[in-house]
Amino acid sequence: MIIVDDVYKRYQTDHGPGKWVLKGVTFTIPPKVSVGLIGGNGAGKSTLLRLIGGVDQPNLGRIERRSRVSWPMGFGGGLQGSLTGRQNAKFVCRIHGHEKNIPERLAYIQDFAELGEAFDEPVKTYSSGMRARLQFGLSLAFDFDIYISDEVTGTGDAAFKKKAADAFKNLIGHASLIMVSHGEGTLRQFCSAGIWLHEGKAHWRDNIEDAIKAYRETIRT
Amino acid sequence: MAYSNPRLANGTKHSDRYKKAKLPAAEIVRIHHARKPIMITLSVWKALFLREAVSRLSAGRAAWLWLLLEPVLHVTYVLVIYTAIRVRTVGGIETAVWLMVGMLGFFMFRRTAAQVMNGIGANRLLFTYRQVKPVDSVLVRACLEGFLMILISIILFSGAALLGLAVIPDDPLAVLEAFLGLWMVGLGFGLASSVAVELVPEIGKLIGFILRPLYMISGVLLPIGSVPQPYRDYLLFNPIAHGLEAVRLGFSPHYHAVAELSIPYIYGFAMVTMFLGLALHNRFATRLVMQ
Repeated sequence: MIIVDDVYKRYQTDHGPGKWVLKGVTFTIPPKVSVGLIGGNGAGKSTLLRLIGGVDQPNLGRIERRSRVSWPMGFGGGLQGSLTGRQNAKFVCRIHGHEKNIPERLAYIQDFAELGEAFDEPVKTYSSGMRARLQFGLSLAFDFDIYISDEVTGTGDAAFKKKAADAFKNLIGHASLIMVSHGEGTLRQFCSAGIWLHEGKAHWRDNIEDAIKAYRETIRT
Repeated sequence: MAYSNPRLANGTKHSDRYKKAKLPAAEIVRIHHARKPIMITLSVWKALFLREAVSRLSAGRAAWLWLLLEPVLHVTYVLVIYTAIRVRTVGGIETAVWLMVGMLGFFMFRRTAAQVMNGIGANRLLFTYRQVKPVDSVLVRACLEGFLMILISIILFSGAALLGLAVIPDDPLAVLEAFLGLWMVGLGFGLASSVAVELVPEIGKLIGFILRPLYMISGVLLPIGSVPQPYRDYLLFNPIAHGLEAVRLGFSPHYHAVAELSIPYIYGFAMVTMFLGLALHNRFATRLVMQ
């Protein structure tokens, strides 16, 4: 369960505080409900994901995580370019307190990401799809209640997308997803509820279709 | 931590990962039992330390060689200059030892301070993981730098011993005490400035201006004792000058250290700056991860 209570967020720019990205966002995500975030570019989807993931802090308001939430996957965050995929994976295992079974987890990540020999090459040599594979495998190697995905499947090839879809499906029942995607098909496939972000406000819809419809209507006008 | 993922242990495939995952009730309770904060911090420190060490020692070709060569070459060329102008002893000990010890002590401070100061920016990517806090990355960097400096010092002293220099310290504990003090001053200075630099980037430039002449006025190349009063007193506000004199005195009890040398001053300075730095990290903990 995640409680987002009246959250305001703006970023610091070189010339003072920027404009408000989120203006009083309030919603509660019940346990085991997968949610899709929808909204135009710059509507604050990634910002909201980062806040939920605890990577960034809101300027005002409160976010409560009453479950184990993954870090936000996407955009190559959390991977150091000069280290290899394996070294990055080891680091993540260690900070999550899985010192003892690193080999098993590495095997799982390697198997899932299917990077081949590139697993032992520096991450800066990876393509964006390869990064996505690694990040995805990394977060699935740990048991979270909620996985946060920021368009992470977007850059993968067809084979990886299918694999990711299967992985997501397997999660249903014990874990849920909070995802951002511009692919409506992806959202429909994985999410039951939707949050439509518009002009700094979040609108909760119990059905993802309603959220997509609400978003579509703003484009038309 | 003791919980081992059943699907991984069995080597089961991802698709049937949860079919087999019938856990006994006790295990389920343990999964939902969060780790203690101290355990999280310790595992983060360990992970960061190994990661920093790998990136320091494997960045570019033969990074470890440059790490070692930098102080060696530095000491060597200054030594050549000093030999050319025929300074055989300084304050009663051999010039080579005097210089080497002073420089290592100074590097202990400067490298620690520089690494710690830039620790937040360099590890910004890692704050993607909630477990990693800015203060963790900074503290770990200080420990790694101290560790590397000890290794470098041992290698340098061993080399110098092979060349026939008298590098066995007369009072090893006093040498360690002074080195530790210099490291702590570096850590305290770095802790406070790491926050300041993140909040006001211009401060980084100012600190650069301060650090540059520090090499000259800390008594690395010129003995502080040869500076006339009242200027000597001004120079002795600098804790590093005390530290360098203390290291040299530890090497040879016959060394003419400045009379004002005070170990408590070094440690006092270190404690105050470390407290200030930690307080700043605590106060601005959220500001530092915010963007």
